[in-house]
Amino acid sequence: MFRGTLKRFCKRYLKVIMGSFGSFRYGESLIGILFVTPVVLYFLIFLLYPALGALYYSFTEWNMRTRPIWVGLWNYKHLLFDRIKYPYFWHSLGVTAKYTGIAMPLSFVTALVLALLINAVKRGQDFFKVAFYLPVITAGAAVATMWRWIYDPLYGLLNIGLKAVGLQPQRWLGEPRMIIPALAIISAWQCGFAMIVFLAGLASIPSRLYEAAEIDGAGAWQKFRYIMLPMLKPTTFFLLVTGLIAAFQVFDIVYVLFRTGGGTIGGPGQAGLTYVLSLFDHAFRYYEMGVACAMSFILFVIILIVTYLQFRFVPQSYE
Amino acid sequence: MARLSKYWLCRSLVLYMALLIIAILMVSPFVWMISTSLKNGPDVFTPIPTLFPINKKTGDIYATLENYRYVLIKKGFAIAFFNSLIVAGIVVPLKLFLDALGGYAFARIPFPGRDKLFLLLLSSMMIPGIALLIPRVYVTKVLGLYDSLWGLIIPMSVSVFDVFLLRQFFLTLPRELEEAAMIDGASRLRIFIQIILPLSRPVLAVVTITSFIWHWNDLIWPLVIINTPSRYTLPLALALLTSGQSHKPHLTMAGAAIATIPILIVFLIFQKRILKGITLTGLKM
Repeated sequence: MFRGTLKRFCKRYLKVIMGSFGSFRYGESLIGILFVTPVVLYFLIFLLYPALGALYYSFTEWNMRTRPIWVGLWNYKHLLFDRIKYPYFWHSLGVTAKYTGIAMPLSFVTALVLALLINAVKRGQDFFKVAFYLPVITAGAAVATMWRWIYDPLYGLLNIGLKAVGLQPQRWLGEPRMIIPALAIISAWQCGFAMIVFLAGLASIPSRLYEAAEIDGAGAWQKFRYIMLPMLKPTTFFLLVTGLIAAFQVFDIVYVLFRTGGGTIGGPGQAGLTYVLSLFDHAFRYYEMGVACAMSFILFVIILIVTYLQFRFVPQSYE
Repeated sequence: MARLSKYWLCRSLVLYMALLIIAILMVSPFVWMISTSLKNGPDVFTPIPTLFPINKKTGDIYATLENYRYVLIKKGFAIAFFNSLIVAGIVVPLKLFLDALGGYAFARIPFPGRDKLFLLLLSSMMIPGIALLIPRVYVTKVLGLYDSLWGLIIPMSVSVFDVFLLRQFFLTLPRELEEAAMIDGASRLRIFIQIILPLSRPVLAVVTITSFIWHWNDLIWPLVIINTPSRYTLPLALALLTSGQSHKPHLTMAGAAIATIPILIVFLIFQKRILKGITLTGLKM
């Protein structure tokens, strides 16, 4: 009986497809369902199942080859409280928080300065926009490769430059305390996206506001402080939310920067071991899929909470 | 009046100087990459950086493509380039078609439960991509796509964000066009292909270019799916080259240049569309 139903269903499905090709119109809603079928199938297989699966597997011990074994909250308990078995969980969270806290403000300020500069000139805006956007479209792997050479302690461009202006050269990627600053510099270099969004925000400020301010005798600083900054609040809020989600998931650049032939993953002192790098390590080096799934779920919760707090407490509008 | 214009001249001079200096700083890693990639091994490590390759012994200026040849042939970058091209060449149009098809139905063809379904789809955008990684790898394995180029294509063949974006665009198109076509007896598929898609060219272009750049650059998915070196994509080949040969910058820079230059060309051709598209979609690449 089931086969009969299936056969009839397939026949009908085919008929609809044929019908929608020709001029004959079959039932509207069937065609609609047909059109969304690929998207919905994809959603079920590659989004819904993984989302529910990640939650389920986080309660199991699983290596992806054998059947998962239910262990309840074991993974969470040990990740959060067992510092001997999982010494890097809190460490990697700290690294990610530090990276976000230093890299994001730095790249936002850089982006705002660039946007203001570009906004202030009349000609050649496009040229500068393109030049400042190049680092954003470059592959993370290529970015890391380029900067690994720039950060070379002896022959790297940066240290040679520092020496030339009389500053102390640094062992950028060789010393734990320099790693987060090194990553922050790269993210400031990649600030082009925020710059374009700031520029759009600046362009949306109505010129009558400036005119009114000029009549009142406002100077450049006052215009910046009392018109531009408040009017850029919605823009900044958007960048803050999306930037934080992206910064929490940073992977490509750190993976390529710190991976060596020997397989060390987080750089010297594991100072570059970001959360996702650590997750990746658990999953694809130790095959602790359950633990890694628990980490992904924790990450999801963290992002949810932080985003909620931003919507709740960060001013989004002009007021 | 003369004083005022002098002030403006000075002001724009200072502004342009500042912009130019920053632009040089921003572009210098790329210049340094190309410059290093054209040098022979012994001439890379110099105490004073040289823009053009200079032979240490004779002092002649030269340029060599030997590093590119070596990386392309000996380090598998030629195959990786080809693989990247195949993957991006299939996944980008496929994704565009499926997303547009779905987006059109969600915008214009009513069926029971449509808007609830759409909301369910949208809710999946809240989940950070990395959180879905492991079960996705498992699904890919179960489907028998593991360690194959199809494994890079099928699991990436739809983007909910693009469905959303295209639906929002289709909603702005005038309904009258479709109604007129329907009266003339055109089917939905025909309306979609012959009326809707041509009208949506600007937004389709943005989606195409952004997803091309995204797929060309993607590292983490190929990293977990591909094992066989002959199926590496460019970012993967580059990641492995860099971690193994970091003390040979002339080689890694040639590799980085091979991975970067196609994207730079695409970007320079479509820069206007891309930069406009960012503000249109709020989409980072």
